[in-house]
Amino acid sequence: MSSAIEPLGASIPRLEARDKVVGTARFVDDFVRPNMLHAAVLQSPYAHARIRSYNVEKARALPGVRAVVTGADVPVRRVGGMLKDETMLAHGKVRYVGEPVAAVAARDAETAQRAIGLIEVEYDPLPAVLTPDAALAPGAPILHEELASYVRTMEGGSQGNLMWHSRLVGGDVDTAWAKCDVILEGTFQTQAQQHAYLETNGVLAEVEANGRITVIAACQSVHHVQTRVADELGVPMSQVRAQVPRVGGGFGGKHATNIHSIAAWLARATGKPVKLILSRAMDMEMQKSRHPSRIRLKTGAMRDGIIIAREADITLDGGAYADESPNVLAFCSLMVRGPYRIPNYRVVSRAVYTNKLRAGSYRAFGNPQATFAGESQIDELAAKLGLDPVELRLKNAAQPGDRWVGGQTLHTCALRECLTEVRAAQKAAPPLPPPAPGRKRGVGFASTTSISGLMGTSASVHLRADGTVALNTGCVDIGQGSDTTMTQICAAVLKIPVERIAYAAQDSDVSPYNWKTAASRSTYMTGRAVQAAASVVRDKIMEHTAELLECAATDLELRPGGKVGLVGVPGKEVGFKDVAMRSLFQSGGPIVGYNGLVYDGEKFDPKRTLMERFAFPNLGVYTFGAICVEVEVDEMTGRAQVLRAWLAHDVGKAINRAACEGQIQGAFSHGLGLALYEQLVWDDDGRLANPSFADYRMPGIMDTPPQITPIILEFPEPSGPFGAKGVGEVPLPGVAPAIANAIVRAVGVRLKQLPMTPERVLDALEAKTP
Amino acid sequence: MKFALPETLADAVALLAEDGARCLAGGQSLVAMMNARLVSPSTLVSLRAIPGLDRIEIRADGSLFIGAMAQHADVARLAPRSPATALFAQAAGLIGHPAIRNQGTIGGSIAHADPSADYPGVVVCAGATVHIAGRSGNRTVSAADFFRGYYETALQPGEIVTAVEAPAGPRGGSAHYEKYSLVDGDFAVVSAAVMLAMTNGRCTAIQLAVGGGAAVPVRVLAAEAALVGTALAEADLAAAGRKLVEAADPIDDFRGSAAYRRKLIPRIAARAVAAAKQKLLNGHA
Amino acid sequence: MAMRETLEYELTVNGEAIPVRARAEATLLEVLRTECGLTGSKRGCDQGVCGACTVQLDGRPVRGCLTLAANVGMRRVTTVEGISTGGALHPVQQALLETGAVQCGFCAPGFVVTLDAMLRENPHPTEVEVRHGLSGNLCRCSGYVKIVEAALRAAGAKP
Repeated sequence: MSSAIEPLGASIPRLEARDKVVGTARFVDDFVRPNMLHAAVLQSPYAHARIRSYNVEKARALPGVRAVVTGADVPVRRVGGMLKDETMLAHGKVRYVGEPVAAVAARDAETAQRAIGLIEVEYDPLPAVLTPDAALAPGAPILHEELASYVRTMEGGSQGNLMWHSRLVGGDVDTAWAKCDVILEGTFQTQAQQHAYLETNGVLAEVEANGRITVIAACQSVHHVQTRVADELGVPMSQVRAQVPRVGGGFGGKHATNIHSIAAWLARATGKPVKLILSRAMDMEMQKSRHPSRIRLKTGAMRDGIIIAREADITLDGGAYADESPNVLAFCSLMVRGPYRIPNYRVVSRAVYTNKLRAGSYRAFGNPQATFAGESQIDELAAKLGLDPVELRLKNAAQPGDRWVGGQTLHTCALRECLTEVRAAQKAAPPLPPPAPGRKRGVGFASTTSISGLMGTSASVHLRADGTVALNTGCVDIGQGSDTTMTQICAAVLKIPVERIAYAAQDSDVSPYNWKTAASRSTYMTGRAVQAAASVVRDKIMEHTAELLECAATDLELRPGGKVGLVGVPGKEVGFKDVAMRSLFQSGGPIVGYNGLVYDGEKFDPKRTLMERFAFPNLGVYTFGAICVEVEVDEMTGRAQVLRAWLAHDVGKAINRAACEGQIQGAFSHGLGLALYEQLVWDDDGRLANPSFADYRMPGIMDTPPQITPIILEFPEPSGPFGAKGVGEVPLPGVAPAIANAIVRAVGVRLKQLPMTPERVLDALEAKTP
Repeated sequence: MKFALPETLADAVALLAEDGARCLAGGQSLVAMMNARLVSPSTLVSLRAIPGLDRIEIRADGSLFIGAMAQHADVARLAPRSPATALFAQAAGLIGHPAIRNQGTIGGSIAHADPSADYPGVVVCAGATVHIAGRSGNRTVSAADFFRGYYETALQPGEIVTAVEAPAGPRGGSAHYEKYSLVDGDFAVVSAAVMLAMTNGRCTAIQLAVGGGAAVPVRVLAAEAALVGTALAEADLAAAGRKLVEAADPIDDFRGSAAYRRKLIPRIAARAVAAAKQKLLNGHA
Repeated sequence: MAMRETLEYELTVNGEAIPVRARAEATLLEVLRTECGLTGSKRGCDQGVCGACTVQLDGRPVRGCLTLAANVGMRRVTTVEGISTGGALHPVQQALLETGAVQCGFCAPGFVVTLDAMLRENPHPTEVEVRHGLSGNLCRCSGYVKIVEAALRAAGAKP
């Protein structure tokens, strides 16, 4: 790679891409250790039951078994997000089919599995609730009888099976309804989607003789894993080290989970390394899903198309444990008003406990549910008013200087540009050959928004003796390309080629803190820290050079290739190496730059929005986007297919253009799965009916449109690194409503429930009054 | 588990006499079930080394002989020299994905008898004969009698499918396999296999079977007879569709409800017939 | 439970004869990863759906997770580790890098093995043929667009 390539915007391949394509990239299951044991997990067969007793004697006695642990062996230490309601293994009762009840470590995977079959657990089954309505009905069986005693980081109104509830109010909707010329109401429902990363969750735990534990985890944050393992084992964080190898996708499903602690526990119990890799079935039964939702939405507008009020009632099915539900609820509530200048809004929302797999974070985090409702109803409104759906959106679109729900100012907002771009792109596209008989086509649009600024992060940059640089962050690359992006940012600040930067793997022992890879925050948050830390190094290099050249630092300029020179005097320059050597052996000491921050944008303004039990301290940096899809519906089978898609997003600044495009196309594919294909299905006993790729069908290459065109706009975000902000999630929420809107155009029926399976489309077509 | 690699059919049959022994053809269904811990054979008898078991022959009259171990990929490559060959080749090319087709076999597929699989409907449509070998010798069973229920066939314990033999189909006719699934490569929600001949715009022969419509493929001879002599117009096909739906007993699962499958059966069947008709007009099988 | 049979046999992998000692029911994927030290082939679903385990038998792509190792016999096994030789990347690998198709990389070995076989059989596929040929390989990161661009680039067609 030539040092002449400007790193900013360059579509350089992932730093580790070569290893990935030749098969030498190492994921957690690729690690082996001498005397390594294999772990297996016993799962609950009941959706709701008390655990009466365990008998592990036969399992312990099986040759090759080294340790057995049940929930009764583990002191109760509840962990979780805002509401700490989970234990490492089920304790006292089980709350969903598939919940881990016990675990075994044995000399090989087969023996571990046989041992699981020999563990006897006696249960007293309890009635289960499988829907939020059933869970909230009077007299419903309560999942968490000790809910009132659980630790929570803030009050969420938790009571009975009501996990959390919150309210957002701005303006005065009740007065506004009276003024509206048109009011639309509707109920929208979405399903449980599973992340289906190609690599399942897994961990390798090792213990030193002094008891210190190391976990190598496929995860989205080493700091999270370190914290959770320390919490669940009841040891200080200094006794736990978390490392991460290459990760085969996360999408929100590989944050800290109980399997890290289970493996650590078994490693401690046996004194041997323990590997626990979840089978696909177990991962789907035990980890988490996207929240199923029901949103009652009401939107009111004037005849000229100006929308003046929106009201939403949101119910999220949270499953058996709270996990990130309070946060998903908050984000869903924050997004449901949509990227429009609607002054009056009220959002009442709740997350409910049910006897199913926990719902938690999944790429876009409550926003797809909110946007499916909001962007479907916008189109309904356009139809009612006789206005073009894009024109209606443009008329109401948020603009720079506007305030979001919560009162934060939008410093940039390119929503209108995104909408006009996708509309123009679709119009300019070469027409497709006409559809076969019995098939109809339609075009659909949606707007979308997300954020990038959230929580804390840090970075350090070290100048090495030869003038190359070591870059150290806590930002885990789960495939989205952050290793490469951070390196490019550092390279751009120091004007050196990326090959001269060594990017350290994340290790809680040495990596500076980062919250986690989530919320599209890596480029914006950790990128800021990297930019600042590299700038500190640059400035120190300049100071050294000023001393060496006996001038003022202001007379100097950074030159490409790792040099600092006197402005206007091409020959007069000093290389990074000379500065490094000077710092190490003569004067000043090793040159290091560090920066740490916690999201510091404008806070929510309680005078503008009443935010009750809103589970975020502060977040912001809004990215906007628009999507246009062309959909074809087969009227005979009801099958809808997306033929082409255009997605325009303002990313502030594309640090790596190909990576941005890949994120947009990848987010689209998850949105496509949510819209048309994927759903976890539970039977009446609360058992997952389709925990396998054979039965949980994702769209493959033949079901994905050959053309997914990303349109990248760059309106610099003032606070972002080189103006950049995140794009990982923002394309996703618009996909389902755009497809729903296109189906209306194609065949005249509107589906308000996801996924929009062929059967549902056909039923809607038959129910349509002619 | 024990593993055996017999080199003759007689040896294989002898090994399969053992309780809990199963034969391994392509493994695409069996090994998947073993991975899911749904089956745990005591002995796995591989058929790979038995010579001639994968023989494929298209005879001069267009009839087809496909050895049980013939892989889907090889059947998919057959030149469409008769309606039967065209039907088998097209269907084989739609089973699963390329990698599956490089190992999956016709014998394994029909012995597994998944009602949503592709071969069962094709084999019944073609009026094929299934060759079986067992301890008491060799025998044949018609395709119509071979499929007995969900994952249930006429195979007795210790018996294996050795070949499928199909007549050429209507002379000068065409064939089409219409597969409707929710995502590409998935099992069919409903499928229809048809072979068809027409003269002067009138149907002279038709064979039509539906997959995914019941525990076994659905073929209604009365429906076929009623179509002969017609122009295969919409009303004719609708009548045939009704008969097929009456004979069907579709399952209810998350790929589709029974009601949805009932709606699809006549439509997919009609699509298959329309496609076969078009192939005739275009002058190929 | 019946006595477990451990078998000893030889596999020819990437041109090399490798002695194997494994349970009779071990899949080729398992044996490659644990006995042969070839961890490039990945376990994604164990049902033959995702394609992350794809290897070649006598040059034809098959599912390592659905192949009984003991049943491979003398057939030549090729894994992703055998696709690039002598340090140089196979055109398919090079193209995947260049188009930015590689994100998490877990699916990459399966795609590489499948594309190598595809291009040997059909050196200049159309886009439709590429898509059909890749219909058995899932990617959860990319939406497939850049993978197809890479395949066409490797085949020498305009990307």
